Amino acid sequence: MLVAGATAGTIHGLANLALVEPYLDGAIMIENQALFASGQAEDTPEFWTEYESYRIWQKEGQVLASAILGTSMGALFGIVYALSRDALPKGGDLKRASVLAAIMWFSVYLVPFLKYPANPPTVGDGETVVLRAVLYLSFIAITGFGVVGFYQVYRRVAKNRRFVAFAGYAALVAVAFALMPPNLDEVTIQAELLDGFRIMSAVGVTIFWTALAIILGTLWQRFRPDSETKLEQH
Amino acid sequence: MTNSLMQVTISPGKVPVAAIVVLGLVFAVGLFIVGFDQGHIFSIAFGEQAFEDMYLHELTHDMRHAAGFPCH
Repeated sequence: MLVAGATAGTIHGLANLALVEPYLDGAIMIENQALFASGQAEDTPEFWTEYESYRIWQKEGQVLASAILGTSMGALFGIVYALSRDALPKGGDLKRASVLAAIMWFSVYLVPFLKYPANPPTVGDGETVVLRAVLYLSFIAITGFGVVGFYQVYRRVAKNRRFVAFAGYAALVAVAFALMPPNLDEVTIQAELLDGFRIMSAVGVTIFWTALAIILGTLWQRFRPDSETKLEQH
Repeated sequence: MTNSLMQVTISPGKVPVAAIVVLGLVFAVGLFIVGFDQGHIFSIAFGEQAFEDMYLHELTHDMRHAAGFPCH
């Protein structure tokens, strides 16, 4: 699980270098211009030398952080997979892991993303970061545990009434969307930069979930960590 | 001479609680480091200065934005 997560996370980090970093550089350049305009920094060769060195360090950190995040999410995915494997559609572990990854991508990434989408630097006040984190995690908890709750409904109702579980989950998400506060910070950067960043961010996270499902499913099929193997001599 | 036959039996086992706990800790600690630390972890060793430096925040900064975590 941890190897699968770390590998998928590293793939995510490397993909982000190509997909997302150009947008991050563009947004940070806007921050630099604001620093120059306000007199907090001077547009000198020394500034740019230090800046370039710092950004290289941050980009390397991005790949490392992706591996750590991947390991962390791999652990979560492994827990959920181990506990839910028998409830997933019949087939090999690659198929089952792919189905679970799709469910988790939808419920703990895509739906929260639609409510609280990723933002590049320059968007987001440091003073509100804790509150924004609480809102984001709360929303993920609602949409994630909502799937668990409505799966129990799905199991208990007759086959021809299973739509009730899907409708119930949709209603839960709709209520959460309506009641949870919107993003607290004003978005002031150009729409082109913002949209490009968000699309590439979503592509990167989708690559991560795809890689995680393929790697974990393949490894699970090979090593079967949920099984007891006995050697008996006759 | 006797013939012996090795039989491999694979049967579903229960998921060990200890494994779930360890994986849960890996998930929680990893997620906090990458997504939410604002100097908290290093403040254990370096005190209040860690909240000024925010070393882990700066190191994981680009990932936070790219993965959708709240940042600034």
